[in-house]
Amino acid sequence: MDFDDRGTRLRLGAAVGTVVLALAAAVALGWPLADILTVGFVERTLQAATPIALASIGGLYAEKSGVFNIGLEGFMIFGAANTGALVWLLGGESPTQADLWVAMGLAVALSVAYTVLFAVLLIRYKANQIVAGLAVWFIGLGFGPFTAVLVWGNRNSPGLVSMADVTVPGLAELPVVGPVLFDTSPLVLLTILLAIGAWVFLYRTRYGYWLQAAGENPEALDTAGVSVNHVRYAAVIFSGAMAGLAGAVLLAHSGSFTGTGQTMVNGRGWIGIVAYLFGNYNPLGAAAAALLFGGLDMLQIQFQTVGIQVPNRLVNLFPYAAVVVVLTVWSSTRMPSALGEPYESED
Amino acid sequence: MSGAGSNRTRAVLDRIAARLLDASVGERIAIAAASMTLALLIGLVVVAFAGYDPVQFLGNVAVGAFGDANALARTLKFTTLFILTGVAVAIAFRAGVFNIGVQGQFVVGGFATVIAILQLAPFLPTGATGGVLLMVLGTVAGVIAGGAYGALPGILKAYGDANEIVTTIMLNFIATGAVGYLVDGPFRGEGNRAPNTARIPEYVSLPRVVFDVPDFSVVGLAVTLVVVAAIAWVLARTRFGYDMVTSGHQIAAATFSGVNAKRTVVATMTLSGMVAGIAGALFAIMIQGYYSDPAGIGTYGFDAIAVSLLAANNPLGVVPAGFLFGALDSAGSHIRINSDVPVQLIDGIIGLVVLFVAVPELFRMAAERTGLGGEN
Repeated sequence: MDFDDRGTRLRLGAAVGTVVLALAAAVALGWPLADILTVGFVERTLQAATPIALASIGGLYAEKSGVFNIGLEGFMIFGAANTGALVWLLGGESPTQADLWVAMGLAVALSVAYTVLFAVLLIRYKANQIVAGLAVWFIGLGFGPFTAVLVWGNRNSPGLVSMADVTVPGLAELPVVGPVLFDTSPLVLLTILLAIGAWVFLYRTRYGYWLQAAGENPEALDTAGVSVNHVRYAAVIFSGAMAGLAGAVLLAHSGSFTGTGQTMVNGRGWIGIVAYLFGNYNPLGAAAAALLFGGLDMLQIQFQTVGIQVPNRLVNLFPYAAVVVVLTVWSSTRMPSALGEPYESED
Repeated sequence: MSGAGSNRTRAVLDRIAARLLDASVGERIAIAAASMTLALLIGLVVVAFAGYDPVQFLGNVAVGAFGDANALARTLKFTTLFILTGVAVAIAFRAGVFNIGVQGQFVVGGFATVIAILQLAPFLPTGATGGVLLMVLGTVAGVIAGGAYGALPGILKAYGDANEIVTTIMLNFIATGAVGYLVDGPFRGEGNRAPNTARIPEYVSLPRVVFDVPDFSVVGLAVTLVVVAAIAWVLARTRFGYDMVTSGHQIAAATFSGVNAKRTVVATMTLSGMVAGIAGALFAIMIQGYYSDPAGIGTYGFDAIAVSLLAANNPLGVVPAGFLFGALDSAGSHIRINSDVPVQLIDGIIGLVVLFVAVPELFRMAAERTGLGGEN
């Protein structure tokens, strides 16, 4: 992480402080901490955090380039629904792991196709980015379950197939780290690699600097002979692909599609936006913030196992409440200067 | 740092508002009609691709919305909800505040109405007098609850600089979850097998005039239109409304003329939440008569965003836009029963309407190409 940045250090300190405080409160209440913070909990937290982290990194790239992709939630719904439908088309009642991987790949390709259209509306036709992003969410909420009804005759799919854990021989035997990283869904490792890659690309390559310049100082980038709009197209399309992948991962981990209510995505795309704001537009910071929200999401199982009586319905609200608190306390993020401004080249 | 960030957001919103404002009324109506038509056309193409008959589908839409007295009553029932929630959205959007939380404010308001009526009923006479009193008090409770639930993100935005788009969406989830828990547990009606509150008394209901149906009364529609007129008057003719709209579009000018921008944001969100609360109260009293798990209640507060945008955030424009959406939703109820086409298509079409409304440039360019745009 970029520790030179005072803001990032401050956030990190505050986040660690909050977690320590919460732990102290739990001890004071007499809760069996050791039974709550199990290796299984860490593993579930990582799995729950992956879709949020992927969408978050995508959204961060778009915003760094100067375009607000508020449609992450909608693209995630399409990613999940399309992966489910494709798995069914490929493998029918008993799809294999190979079917799942192919379906995920195709679903991401479809997300790229949708995002190209979205990017054209935003960049070429200067759509209102906030309203158009909301529209993508609504379209997803309509056509996601619509797809499910067409394919399965119901908004929820039957059990399809979930991603099998991959065990790395040797490394899996390590205490704690072994089961958490080397005996789990390969998508967790993939997300970690993508987060590191996104950080390196953004801060250590020429293209990363172009991306930042497109959001901070488009005129300078233009003067340097790089097309601002090309950079923005690339960033927005990447964000859609990542959100589509996030939805695909969500489906792969749960093994079936849920299209009732707000669908199985259930706000994770919105939480992804908050994750990158909290992570100060740093891909690693965003991934760390996703862990926090993922952990809150999985707390319910821990509470149940140790017998703490809090109604499920209320425990499920923790991540949303945390988002409101995080936004209010750490909202002082500096947005890219040219965010939301369509760029018109002089020539 | 915080100030710079919020100024930046404000500048973005200002530009958006400026772009929305520079469209003339005629142009806005043309854009709304074009968006609606294009979205419906895409919907019909999807219907055809999914292997159904688009002509028959269109016929089902017409019959479902206006086919007979029952269909028309159903259309007007949804229309009242869309107008009220649409006005709630319009108040905020006009003031440059993106209140996406009307659904949550609607839910909290409706729940408060039912609880207030149930708690107060034993202390008041039964019959018509008690019924009217309870409806008024219940609505007041709904307005207060909706207003308070709208004020919260307003306060967080004004004094904590928290982006209201995200906080209101989160508060929607929290409202649905919390009210869902309450109707399932502490407030579940005695002997109810479903997670519902007890029913409000029989005499607490609007009179059946013109339409003899249990869940729509012309009185409800009349109340709705009075609210629209009142809000339109507040926005156009009062100092408060003027401050709201100017601080939405011209923050610098508003501050210079002595408007307290932070307090205006909170007031805007409160007023928006109060109108959502009226919608909630009407839903609770006129339509349902009890409160159920909000996860299963229509997403009027979300669709209201489309209604308001289609009306260019003008409270009077919300009336025809709300009627259009009422007809669409009513058609959806009909299609659910009488057609194999998945009714979720209607939600998708609503999303497309919002998408096209967001891109006026698309239609302007198309108009220029085809020579229809005139002097534009």
